[in-house]
Amino acid sequence: MSLTLTRQNFLQSSAALTGAVAWPAWMPRLAFAPPETAPRGRRSPSGGDTLVVIFLRGAADALNIVVPHGEAAYHALRPTLGIARPDDNHVARGLRAIDLDGFFGLHPALRPLLPAWQAGHLAPVHACGAPDESRSHFKAMELMERGVDDERGPASGWIGRHLATLNTGNHSPLRAVGLGAIPQRSLSGSIPVSALRSIADFHLGGDPRAVAQMQAALASLYAGDDPLTAIGRETLDILEALQALDPRGYQPTTGLMYPDTEFGMGLRQMAMLVKAEVGLEVAAIDLGGWDTHFAQGAGEGLMAGLLKELAEGLAALHADLFDYADRLTIVTLSEFGRRAQENGSLGTDHGHGSLMLLMGGHVSGGKIHGQWPGLAEGQLVGPGDLAVTTDYRDVLGEVCFKRLNNPALAEIFPGHEVKLRGFLR
Amino acid sequence: MTFSRRNFLRLAGLVAAGATLSACAPVYARLAGDPKSLAGWPPLAATDFRALSRVTFGPRVEERLHVAEIGLNEWLEEQLAHESIDDQSLHWRLQNFETLTMSAAELADWSEGLFDDVDKQSVPRELARATLIRQVYSRRQLYEVMVEFWTDHFNISVEKGDCWFLKTVDDREVIRPHALGKFRDLLWASAHSPAMLVYLDNQVNHKGAPNENYARELMELHTLGVHGGYTQQDVQELARCLTGWSVKEAFWRGDFTFNAGQHDTGAKTVLGLTINPDGQGEAEQVVELLAAHPSTARFVATKLARRFIADEPPSELVAKASTAFTQNDGDIRAVLRVILFDGLASAQPKFKRPVNVVASALRMLNATTDGGEVLYDHLARMGQAHFRWPTPDGYPDRSGAWSGNLMPRWQFALALARNEIKGTKLDLSEIAQASGAQTPAEIVDQSGALLLGSPLPAPTRDDLVASLGSAGAGDADLPAVIAAGLIASPAFQWR
Repeated sequence: MSLTLTRQNFLQSSAALTGAVAWPAWMPRLAFAPPETAPRGRRSPSGGDTLVVIFLRGAADALNIVVPHGEAAYHALRPTLGIARPDDNHVARGLRAIDLDGFFGLHPALRPLLPAWQAGHLAPVHACGAPDESRSHFKAMELMERGVDDERGPASGWIGRHLATLNTGNHSPLRAVGLGAIPQRSLSGSIPVSALRSIADFHLGGDPRAVAQMQAALASLYAGDDPLTAIGRETLDILEALQALDPRGYQPTTGLMYPDTEFGMGLRQMAMLVKAEVGLEVAAIDLGGWDTHFAQGAGEGLMAGLLKELAEGLAALHADLFDYADRLTIVTLSEFGRRAQENGSLGTDHGHGSLMLLMGGHVSGGKIHGQWPGLAEGQLVGPGDLAVTTDYRDVLGEVCFKRLNNPALAEIFPGHEVKLRGFLR
Repeated sequence: MTFSRRNFLRLAGLVAAGATLSACAPVYARLAGDPKSLAGWPPLAATDFRALSRVTFGPRVEERLHVAEIGLNEWLEEQLAHESIDDQSLHWRLQNFETLTMSAAELADWSEGLFDDVDKQSVPRELARATLIRQVYSRRQLYEVMVEFWTDHFNISVEKGDCWFLKTVDDREVIRPHALGKFRDLLWASAHSPAMLVYLDNQVNHKGAPNENYARELMELHTLGVHGGYTQQDVQELARCLTGWSVKEAFWRGDFTFNAGQHDTGAKTVLGLTINPDGQGEAEQVVELLAAHPSTARFVATKLARRFIADEPPSELVAKASTAFTQNDGDIRAVLRVILFDGLASAQPKFKRPVNVVASALRMLNATTDGGEVLYDHLARMGQAHFRWPTPDGYPDRSGAWSGNLMPRWQFALALARNEIKGTKLDLSEIAQASGAQTPAEIVDQSGALLLGSPLPAPTRDDLVASLGSAGAGDADLPAVIAAGLIASPAFQWR
């Protein structure tokens, strides 16, 4: 799998996604509720939280995200890629791990997450993952998004089944959205799912007369029995719902900086939808580029750049929606982790055990969850990988059960008995 | 009104008149010259239209007429023998694309501007433009469809390292020469392709501490498939075979090189085969083994059948195609023969990928394009800018990946019909004139036949006409909004 070194071109080619976009003058306006009157803690129509699922595609290196700096084997396995201990005076402070509990520390690029950690709103689950041992990105991602053990089992995604098994009476076309050009597999299921790349770009163009005629044509053409009809009608509904929003009028809570990237813009759109109370229950977004076989870097470099983007995005979202923290849960996951020992090209190859981050007002924050399997010989599995001690579905299942009010865990994760381990309150 | 072949032929005549560069003019000039002799000629049968849509980037009017004249199978034979199809007009269109023929080192030099400012955009942009122009204008449509297939199969993103210029070489020397050749030659060329070695990190695969990235994808994605019977151990052993396969950095920058000093000379075992020390020959031995492996035959046959026939292709067809692969030494044409001649009649609807949406709209409406930036922005928003898929699995082929993102398709439809895409020109009035359509219903019928293969069902057409009337569409608005609506319609998203 590739590592995308420059995404600048792509971002340039879609200037509408960047913060500097000039909103077209004809964008329909309808103001957001001013911040001081924003409803505090009002629940989504399901009565549960709004869930934000962030997939780190490419197998993020768990050991350099939440760093086991107290583990003797860690620095031996990673002489060049290891993150320096918090007390390592030979290394500049800004490149050392940020200690969390004397054994684990955050990668220095994750410093923006410290306020959430201190507020008890951040709960990492270490050494978690899936039973699949293919070490194939594509197989592992597919199984994880479907929430199944192997090829058998439903083709739909776990989020799709969650939505299908929980009747919230919420018929909003924005009940579930995938941010990006291609909707996430996890969302597929019985309700049509739309990809939403940019709210500002979700319109038909400039000439109001032509747009009105086009909308009439579309409403007429998307009325038959084609399988696309449902998606088309939903797209028209979203068009209508979004015409009631005004991205120009949206300002994140003062002083916040979302990263000026597609990921950052996606998170910003999510915050906008949450605040606009349009019935958003689940949003899925990807951050790619974690397949660091080559030139991964340690305290700085390629992966540090990705972590910075992730941390700044999460921190901005967390702060932007602080008033909504009571009904917001964020979870990150990745298809697997990376080899404990670094490879010969300053990178890491495909491994096994991974890491999930839980954020929100109801996570059991301030501690590192999961049984730590260790990195010594005999503790590693396969070709030398971190073991999996927590099934990722135990984390997601507890989110569904406790925060989304959905008890149908056997349907969401068929073949897996979810164990509630107290990741959340 | 009923759709008349006469109007259809007038459209063909229009194409003939407009396409001064087209070398196929004699075919339809002859057809259009004597419409009376073709009395009773119908629009294509639905299965032929679908077949044609599957093996082209959207059938042009002249292709439909040609198939109606010689029959689908004969036409497929012509397409399979792509080198005997004259494509001179395409050649002319691309003659100013100077980067297409440059060596890797020349491309790198060419991109170096003043003050150490390296332009990393011009080369990949020119390649993407050329690719779109080929897809829209080449008369070797099946060949271009196969080039796209292998471009996905051996995916390389121009956003990774030096791939921004190496991909141009890979496209020219790996994908295009072998797209309808032998799979073994294609795989061999790809394994020696600097772009691939950079994309999958093999240029940093050294003895003692191998990098598994390329070794894994070579088996998982290029040959055996994830269920093809290899193990993690095989990945590690193949990675050792591939140590030292690299790319020159200074002189002859961007050329393949085998760096013996970085090669692990120990014995290896891959897929049960003992590989004796043989330097570069070790991995080449494995490439031969993989190219001839039964799992590869099955994996490639499945993917081809998925591309041409159905998202979940019939297992008998896959079995027959994979037998053809094995019996014909991986001859791609032999596999395609089975898939096309046995499979096309039962082809299931496939959701058009964005490139197909764009190219088919342009081709069916005889629009002209320079493949420029504005059109490209539309493709990017739909999610399929050429050579920019980041992961090595290539742009998704199954319908489900694409169907949730209709809005950018609608935006493209409206912008195209209203001629708001700079560098791309559509002349609806010319089409309307040639078709003779006058009433709104006639325009819908004619446009439907052109874009969808056959007119919309009468109730849908009447409903559309009524809705447009209530929305205040006047005569002057109709051709554009009808074309836009049809390009945006559910039916047009399938091929």
